[in-house]
Amino acid sequence: MTSNPREEELRVEGQADEERRFDRATATAQPVRQTNLWKDAYFRYIRNKGAVVAAVVFLLFVLYAALWPIVSPYDPYKVDFAEANMRPTLEHPLGTDRFGRDLLTRTALGARVSISIALMATLAILVIGVVYGAISGFVGGHLDNAMMRLLDALYGLPYLPFAIIMIAIFGGASFWTMVIALSVVSWFTEARIMRGQVITLKENDYVRAARAVGARWHRILARHLVPNTLGVLIIAIFLSIPSIVLAEAFLSFIGLGISPPNASLGSLAQDGRAVYRVHPYQIIIPSVAIATLVLCANFIADGLRDALDPRTRET
Amino acid sequence: MTKLIIRRLFWTIPVILLVVFVTFMMMRQIAGNPFRTSERVIPEAIQRNLEQKYGLDKPWYIQYATYVKNVATFDLGPSLVLRNRTVNDIVKTHFPVSMELGLYAMLFAILFGVPLGILSALRANSWFDYAAMTFSNIGYAVPSFLVATLLIYYFALQWGGTFNFPTSGWNTWESKVLPTVALGLGPMAYFARLVRGTMLETLQQEYVRTASAKGIRWHRVVVVHVLRNSLIPAVTAAAPLLGFIITGSFVIEQIFAIPGIGRYYVTAVNARDYSVVMGLTVLLSVLIVIANMVVDILYGVLDPRTRDART
Repeated sequence: MTSNPREEELRVEGQADEERRFDRATATAQPVRQTNLWKDAYFRYIRNKGAVVAAVVFLLFVLYAALWPIVSPYDPYKVDFAEANMRPTLEHPLGTDRFGRDLLTRTALGARVSISIALMATLAILVIGVVYGAISGFVGGHLDNAMMRLLDALYGLPYLPFAIIMIAIFGGASFWTMVIALSVVSWFTEARIMRGQVITLKENDYVRAARAVGARWHRILARHLVPNTLGVLIIAIFLSIPSIVLAEAFLSFIGLGISPPNASLGSLAQDGRAVYRVHPYQIIIPSVAIATLVLCANFIADGLRDALDPRTRET
Repeated sequence: MTKLIIRRLFWTIPVILLVVFVTFMMMRQIAGNPFRTSERVIPEAIQRNLEQKYGLDKPWYIQYATYVKNVATFDLGPSLVLRNRTVNDIVKTHFPVSMELGLYAMLFAILFGVPLGILSALRANSWFDYAAMTFSNIGYAVPSFLVATLLIYYFALQWGGTFNFPTSGWNTWESKVLPTVALGLGPMAYFARLVRGTMLETLQQEYVRTASAKGIRWHRVVVVHVLRNSLIPAVTAAAPLLGFIITGSFVIEQIFAIPGIGRYYVTAVNARDYSVVMGLTVLLSVLIVIANMVVDILYGVLDPRTRDART
């Protein structure tokens, strides 16, 4: 088994070419479009206008969150009561809060924190879910049965009480506390997906066929498990981001979030809530930012699902 | 079928025990205890007496065993902070309020969300469909605290003269309208999207084509064949939605100052009232576990195909 992997790659490509010729020979009127999974998915995604717009807006939003606090002329932490509660003007496009801080800058900062928490929590969810699902799927038998029954029973468990307890355990909310608190009971779906993929890998015919023709396990992993699983996991990531963003906003809103002067979108909304009777824009702006993130991520997830898993495509 | 029910019931018990165990262990990790706070200075001897009274001086496994035994007999123990009040008392006063709010929100979600989804699917790609789906997508994404705040701002303050909805409380029917809408809007949007999706899928099934080809009138095809088959998946959504509504109620109760479980929960955590937090967490988790069980069984009843797969 000393064959050069590159050679093996070429050989397989050659095989594919042969197959293609065979296809052409037998195909009747319909031309066969040959392309790989990702290219194919890309073309399908591009055709979905809503998903493309959502992806662009999402990207712009992330750029705004990442860059604006650096280039903004205003210090997001500097209190200036002379400028407090200014309605949106040219100088402050989104107005200022009750401490006179520029809301355009504060919102970028809050979005940065919210997005970072969502990304980190999603990563944690993926790790826990993948490990749990992989163990369940690989070991199988009674353990698998017990692990899956547990997920069945706990599905939909409200994260909020557990998140609140976790925050109490760590004695207050910081960035990492929030990440842990929000991922601790949110990984059930990811675990299920992973288990399903592992079982497919173990039992499906094409995997058995690949093994029968002598494919080694890392090849099966690279050619079958990863491409198949990656798509579903990417969708899961984009489904998880909006729910974490909302969850973080809820926690901050009931006063258990990031502590001032730091901000997340939720804590900005909570600040705005204090003055909503006089200055409603102060709660609307961070809430609209949250809604934009959630809406875009949902559309992206829908688009990705249609692109990566055509079998479940909606009409 | 009976096998499925028995199996499902059997699995519920260890899961509940596990949830109680995890909650119990988590609560023990919280630093400090209600009798040793910096705000109140309590003499050492009294502290020890109090800890003895509530069994906090015993090793954790004895505390756990006692707790499980009490939970099994529906006794969630005394509140550690409010004297002479038990967790059961607190549940009795606050839980019905949350239940009522959750129920109204769920009803609102079903009564408006399901028809919206059905109509959108039947008129797929029409202006009505686009409007309904835009509304649902936005309703699903907008955080409920914004919905609540806007509702209060417009219907209780700005146009208060015309509508006369109070900004807070939970006593008259007027005071219940705004919280119900605020909490139910997200689930409503969710139902609308879900039902539209499953309806569109069912409409393409061959038995639907067969039925209309046989000359059965269209509304009969829809009612008999399409609706029945496409509303089943909506049943499975009920359990996760219960979790959604519980979470939402924490925020909505806070905003409208509704004396429910969610609002009390946050107070109890801040006061380190272990037994209340634990009791409420266990209660909510058990509720979800039971809801999942009911949904699974119901799904087996409604859709015989899933029976074998699930037993």
